[in-house]
Amino acid sequence: MTAGQLDQSNMIKFNFVHLILSRHQKTLMNAFFATIRISFRRQLTYRAANLSGLATNLMFGFFRASVLIALYQEETSINGLSIQGAITYAGLTQALIGFLSFFHWYEMMHTVYDGQIGSDLLKPLNFFLYWLGVDTGRALGSFLIRSLPLFLVFTCFYDIVLPQSLLQWGAFILSMILAHLISFAWRFMVNLAAFWTPNALGIGRFAFGLSWIFSGFFMPLALFPEWLAEICQVTPFGATVYIPIQVFLGAGSGESLLNYLLIQVFWVVTLVLLDHLILARGVRKLVIQGG
Amino acid sequence: MRRSLSLLFRLLRIQIRSQLQYPTSFILEVIGNTVVMGSFFVVFALTLSRFENIGGWTLGEVAFIWGITEFSFGMMDMVFSGFDYDAFGPMVRKGQFDQLLLRPVNITLQVLGSRFVLRNLGKIMEGLIIFLYGLSQIEAHWTVFKVLYIPILSISQVLFFGSLFIIGATTTFWTMERLEILNIFTYGGSEIMSYPMHIFPRAIRLVFTFLVPAIFLSYFPTVFILGKTDPLNAPEFTAFLAPFVGIAMLLIALRFWRFGVRNYQSTGS
Repeated sequence: MTAGQLDQSNMIKFNFVHLILSRHQKTLMNAFFATIRISFRRQLTYRAANLSGLATNLMFGFFRASVLIALYQEETSINGLSIQGAITYAGLTQALIGFLSFFHWYEMMHTVYDGQIGSDLLKPLNFFLYWLGVDTGRALGSFLIRSLPLFLVFTCFYDIVLPQSLLQWGAFILSMILAHLISFAWRFMVNLAAFWTPNALGIGRFAFGLSWIFSGFFMPLALFPEWLAEICQVTPFGATVYIPIQVFLGAGSGESLLNYLLIQVFWVVTLVLLDHLILARGVRKLVIQGG
Repeated sequence: MRRSLSLLFRLLRIQIRSQLQYPTSFILEVIGNTVVMGSFFVVFALTLSRFENIGGWTLGEVAFIWGITEFSFGMMDMVFSGFDYDAFGPMVRKGQFDQLLLRPVNITLQVLGSRFVLRNLGKIMEGLIIFLYGLSQIEAHWTVFKVLYIPILSISQVLFFGSLFIIGATTTFWTMERLEILNIFTYGGSEIMSYPMHIFPRAIRLVFTFLVPAIFLSYFPTVFILGKTDPLNAPEFTAFLAPFVGIAMLLIALRFWRFGVRNYQSTGS
């Protein structure tokens, strides 16, 4: 390729990008990624806290695995879930706690109460995108420093199940990204309650408590009675925790793998739309206190 | 002493009154708490129905120990709210603890009266319900001693968990941040105490016997009360150590607490 050709291809690429994104949008995209980067770095700063959280989750992983082993006894497989699968399940759920932050997130709520939200709403970056950026940075940091080491240590203690093919690994990563989006959209919605009530913390505790059960975090859904498992699977909670783990364990192949991912996409779209609707209504009636 | 106690009750009364300011919200939260906490047991029960027993224990037997543990933890979480290291850390960091030190009243008493989380009634109720369900399912040879031993056991557990909270709060004098790792012993402790503990690996059991003696407050006494055979073959007297362990833990914790207060240096903010 000559220098001229290279130049031309660069130009074409540039024009192409220019076609989909206006200059303004590009600035916003940069702001979005900068938000992720800053939040990611902040998460990595808390080394002691991360390490202490890691140890805690690991210990709970051992507890859950022990309970499952005691339950299985001589059985090798229950409802398609092998004992190795169940142990892997216990490790994965604990590894994902930090990444998904599914049960404890009141950050946005606090900004409503202390008035910080006033300046956040004035930011040129869309309020939803701003928090998505913050939370994505946090999730990435958590994944790197907490989820990954935890699972690696966990594998040293138990015989576990790993994805068998590159396709399965790919599907798992995709499923994790979707899970993060669902998790964020759900937590954002719970936090939006603060626009209406001074005691959104109570609502949050209840909402997050329910998701703890329905997501299959406490016990693998495969061990639930059929009817309950089916309900849990189609909730956004099951889609956040249970589905990525099913993909990891190779429970879904071909068609059911696609089904899993489609359920997740459905929840991403639904929850994000709902978030925007509720946010639009909330902003109109928001009275900012303090300052 | 009497003055101190009346002061403590006064502090607690203020706490309770302020939390009852919005009665509907409060009641809903207590009910919500009961439902959410209770559903963990329901899920476990539904799962167990696939397997019949766990480590040779039936659902009723697990409910018995699970219920007592939840009840005691809920009680402790209410009475010892002031020492909850999740809340105590920020208190130290923001210098609010310094304010308490300036007052001419016993500091331990003040911290005890500084917080009283009434919504824990939900967890207490939930524990009681599970415990009663367990009682209705089991057939034990009841003696007067066994019946009397149950409340003693529960009080011992309250002291045990309370001691862990006090130790946790004390560590924040140095760390300023809550140490999540302590959850292994508090919340983790209450979790493994809810199961027949012989199902856990030896290493975990040793930690919860010699480092944090949880096993004396749940597994050994329950083996005795329910008349189970113990695969660990522990000597029989271990069943009766619960109150001594509870009191000893509290004394150690208070000692550590006083040491912490004496060596406390404010953050200066």
